[in-house]
This record gives sequence, C-alpha cells and structure tokens, in this order.
Amino acid sequence: MVHVETTAGSSLDGLFKAEGIAIIGASSKVGKPGNKIVEYALELDFKGEIYPINPGAEEIMGLKCYRDLEAIEGKVDIVVVVLHSDDCVTAAQKIAQRKDEKGDISVVVVVSGGFSERGDEEGREREKALLEPLMSRGIRVVGPNCQGIIDTYQGINTTFDVGKYKKGGLSVITQSGAFAVSYLMWADPLGMLGLSKFVSVGNMRDVSAIDLLNYFADDESTKVIALYLEGANEARKLIETAAEVSKKKPIVTMKAGRTELGGRAAQSHTGSIAGSFEMYKGAFRQSGVIQTFNVPEFYHTAAAFSKMPMPKGNRVCVLTVVGGPGTLCVDELITSGVVELAKLSEETKSRLKEILAPTANVGKPDGYIDMTGSVSETLHKEVFKIVLSDKNIDGVIYLTTPPAFLDEELLAKNIVSAYQSFPEEERKPVLSVLLYGFSVAKGRRIMEDADMPTLDYPDTAAQVMANMIRYSQYRSRNNC
Amino acid sequence: MGYREIIERAIDTGREVLPEHEAYQVCEEFGIAYPPTRFATTREETVEAAESLGYPVVLKIVSPAVVHKSDAGGVIVGIVSQSELKDAYDLLFANVKEKVGDVPIDGVLIQKAMPKAAEVVVGGLKDDLFGPVVMFGSGGILVEIFKDVSFRLAPLDRDEAMRQIKETKAYEILKGVRGAPPSDLDALADLIVNAGKLLSALPEIKELDFNPVFAGSDGSVVVDARMVIGS
Repeated sequence: MVHVETTAGSSLDGLFKAEGIAIIGASSKVGKPGNKIVEYALELDFKGEIYPINPGAEEIMGLKCYRDLEAIEGKVDIVVVVLHSDDCVTAAQKIAQRKDEKGDISVVVVVSGGFSERGDEEGREREKALLEPLMSRGIRVVGPNCQGIIDTYQGINTTFDVGKYKKGGLSVITQSGAFAVSYLMWADPLGMLGLSKFVSVGNMRDVSAIDLLNYFADDESTKVIALYLEGANEARKLIETAAEVSKKKPIVTMKAGRTELGGRAAQSHTGSIAGSFEMYKGAFRQSGVIQTFNVPEFYHTAAAFSKMPMPKGNRVCVLTVVGGPGTLCVDELITSGVVELAKLSEETKSRLKEILAPTANVGKPDGYIDMTGSVSETLHKEVFKIVLSDKNIDGVIYLTTPPAFLDEELLAKNIVSAYQSFPEEERKPVLSVLLYGFSVAKGRRIMEDADMPTLDYPDTAAQVMANMIRYSQYRSRNNC
Repeated sequence: MGYREIIERAIDTGREVLPEHEAYQVCEEFGIAYPPTRFATTREETVEAAESLGYPVVLKIVSPAVVHKSDAGGVIVGIVSQSELKDAYDLLFANVKEKVGDVPIDGVLIQKAMPKAAEVVVGGLKDDLFGPVVMFGSGGILVEIFKDVSFRLAPLDRDEAMRQIKETKAYEILKGVRGAPPSDLDALADLIVNAGKLLSALPEIKELDFNPVFAGSDGSVVVDARMVIGS
C-alpha cells in the first residue's frame, strides 16, 4: 500500500467554497475529456473564475487559456488535473511549487487514471510520486482515477459527463464514477433527483468516504447521502462515523463484492464463514446505514429520502387501482419484516365506501385499498386526502397503471394537490408506482417536480418504504 | 489460573488453539456459562470425575492435534453409567487413533450432559478491517453450509445483540416450535454481549467458536468452546 506522510486535517471547505478553479489539461478539441470538463464547468452558475491551462491554446470556450499554473494571477482553490498519467507527477510538482509561493491551492482533483488501480508496482509508485508533494503541503487530493466533484449550489463541476443539474438534497459519495454518474443521468429526464454535492473519490488516497460523510453531516443543503462502496481500509472508522452521521441524516449505500471469497485461512467455523460483505451488512445495520441490495432499490431509496419526510411509524397503506401489482407490493412489504399493514380507522373506511364504487375493496386485508379502475382523476384527490389524514397510517404506496382513459397530467395534478393540502409537518411519505413507466412520463414529471417520487415497480416501492421505516427506527432508538 | 496466564502459556508453548477446558476458564471470567466439566488424564480419574458430576455425561478428547473433535470421533455423548463410561473411554481413544493416527493426547474432558435445547452458534473474530466482530446464527456442524448467521461489531449492547438474533432464521426456532418452550432471549443476548467483551478485552484471541450453544428456556450454556490464539 502507498504510504504518504500528510499534514492532514485541512477542511474540505476548499472543495465546496472555491473561488478559482484551474484545469490542467483543458482542451480546445471537441470530443476530448479536457474539453468537456471546461464546457460543463461553465454550465453551472459558478460565481468564481475558471482558468483553463494548455500551452497550445489561446482560448477555450471563450475563456482565456493559460500556458501554465504560474501564469494565473487570481486565487486558485481547486486544480483539476486531466492529463496523461505520465504527466501528472510533473503537474503535481508545479502545483506544489505554486503552493509554496502563493499558498492558495487547497484541493487537487486528479481525474487521470493509470495509478494504483492498475494493480502493479509502476502504478503504485507513480501514485506515490503524485501524492507526496501535494499531501505533504496539506493540499487535499480527490482521486486519482475519478470523475471529480459537483456542487450544484456553488456551481462547481469538474466532471466530464454531467452538465447542468437540478438542485436538491442528495449528496453522492462514490468509488465508481460510472455507477454514480449513471444514477444522475438515469434520474434526469423525469427530474427524479435534485443534487447537492457529488464526489467521485476514485482510488480514495486522501479525501475519503469518512471525510465526506463528516462534511455532509453538517452541510445544510444535504438531506440524504448516497454511498457507493467497494471497500475501505478503515472500515471500522467508516462504520463509527456513519453511526454518528446517521443520527442526523440518512446514508443509503450499495456495497459491491457480495460474492467475494473470504479467503481467510481459519481454524474456526466463525473464521471460515466471515466474509467482508457479511460483516459490512451487520455493521451497516448496527450503524443505521440503509444498505440496498439491488440497483433500483438504491436509486429509489436515496431519491425518496431526498424528497419525502420520514415515516413516523411502520404502518403502511397500499392504495391501488390494480390488483396484481398491489398484491406483489404487499408480498414484498411483509417479506421485509419491518412493515405492518395499517389498520384503517373506521372513519376512513366509511368515508371511502361512500365515494368509491361498490366493487372497491377497502381494508381487506388491513391497510389494503383497491379503488378499482373506475376511480376518476378528481376522485383520486378525495381518496388521497382521506387516506393521508388517517392517524393509523404512517406511509402510503400508491399503485396505478394509470389507465389510458384517464388524463395522466390531470391525475398527477390532483394527487399533488391532495398531498400539498397538508401542512409540511403533517405530511407522510407517499411512493407512487406508475406501472406504465416512461409511457406516462408527463404525469410522472409533474409529480417529481412537486417532490413526489415515482417508481416503475411495485416490489421496489415496498423495499424503499421498508428502508425508510428501518431508518426511522434507527433514529427513534437513538432518540434523535 | 487467570485468563491472562492461560493465554500467555498457550503463546509460550506455541499452541494455536486453547484446550477446551482452558477456554472455559476464560469464559468464566466473562460470565459465560458452560457445563460442569472435569479434565482427566487416566481412566481412574475419568471415572472419579463422572461419579462426582453425576450421569449422564459427555466424554471429549483433548489433543492439540484434533481441531474438529466430532469429525475424529472424539466426542461421545449420552453416557449414563460407569460401565458405559469405561467402554466409551476406550472407544474414544480407538476412534481418534483410527481417524487421525498416533497423535499426542493431553487427556479427556468429562462434561455433565446438558438438557436438550435449541442449538445455536455464537462466534467471534478479530478482523483486519473491522477489529472485533461477533457472529450469531444457527449452530451445529452445518453452520458453514447454511450460513444462517448475522454479524455485529463488538463491543455491543443487549438491544443490539437482540436485533442481531432477530435477523436470523434461528430466531424462529428460539421463539419455540413444536411444543418446545421459547428460549430465554435476554440470556442469549447477554452471552453475545459477553463474547464481544471477551474479544475486545483479549487482543490475542483471533477467532472464537461457541458451537453449539444450548439456548434453553432458563439460560444459555456453551457446550463446546474453541479459542484460536494469534497476533
């Protein structure tokens, strides 16, 4: 393992409160990562200065281009390095030199790969040579081998794949740039996510998941933290940190490596059975981290936490227009082991029976309402109001196709209006499954824009609701 | 002999696995229950021990060369009389000789048979990444096949151990099935908590198996203990 002496402890403020960003390896050639980085850096409303560095260009995207770091007169907080790996070490020395002279650089984001992730001695040595001059000066390093950072509120963006993005409460920490960027891009067309901060930590040699969890815990615009994890050297410290952060805001994680072999030479049953994935699983439960086990569950759980209030209990109502998916949803809720189907109040039952068709099923089994296909757009509004005011219900999963004879936009507006008729402190989590998926994108977009999460699959919705309940239980048993 | 001395002696003599009766002495210090047990090196001592414990008893081989005792025929259960005990003594040595050959044998353990109860496993280890970790699950020799286990970082409190228990299928059995009385879950959770304390307090213990633990309606007893020493 690479070991570098560090004067650690410097805050990450330099990362998220930057005034000047220099991009070494900025390119005027369309189709190069160094070109996209400049383009996307400009797309967010960054108030500071962006300094492209390339000795061969006069200007890039209308910005003055500098021949080297030395030539920049203004304050530089972040330096983005997007060079061939061979050239990164020299760049690091130049950065160190400027730090000694001007004292301004606090963070370096190394986008380039070709370091320890190669798994060979050459890569490790190069990484050491890259990090030493930076970390010995207290400069924080993100990466190498990463997509860099985004802060939608400060308008900072060093990635080459994500352009302008909707602001919101989700912050992302990821050991895979591709996985997390895919999440953002997947969610974008329907507006399913609002982003606060994004950090692709790459090889995670300095700025780590632990640093970022601590930072996001106190970050006002972060409501939920999504963490994609492959492995951490300081696993115990990570868990201890997460246990504290989880008392303030939810951490949703996807952990890779379920099928990794333990490979431990053990003399006990315990030793031979204990794989790292299983230990992570137990440790996550212990520390309130919500671990998800499939990709849609991860995507939607983090999205739901970013938009919805936490459930106050575990009593769930399944409100459906369609039988089969409703049943699948109930199956998955029960399987979770944490959900109880809500016992509808007598008032709710009688009011619903009054307005729904005689064929509708109200409360068989407990907490299950099948409105049948006859329910109109406006009737949806009435039903939602009744269900959401029932004190016996802590959360609602609504399922519909919706049928083609309804106007999906009108339907969405009615649901939103019913939801928003409650003051914020009385709102409960509602997950809406629109089974026709992208075919009803217009209706979904309306709901998402009103911060009502929509999903495609009934079982995923059940998993997400169960996850919200698990988190709420962690909070209540820690009295916070 | 205190547990520190036991561990130091094991390290000095190059033993990787503590003899079972010494492992129980370590358990003693951490409030972990085990059956009345005697160590004997001769047939006469064995008979004396069984008479004083009272039948039925279990006879177990004690040898640094036998790690998996039952695989080597090194455990004989359900011995109800002196004559059965004498036969069992000879059979035990014959079994071990047949399965693992002429290996050094320290002696035998005579253990009072415990009333039948739900069998679970409580384990622990020092993990390179996580440090002390405790495991709970369905016990027996098939634990590695079914892997009905759940982990927690140690130390932990009773509530956390209770949640750990409830994550496993073993919990369904502990609630009482087919007329069996429910197990004392508080006692079992305390055993997990104490195993966590033991691991946190003794850095020299690298791995730990209590397998099986009899989780009865009036307490939990470790009926086989293995402690692996390592740095």
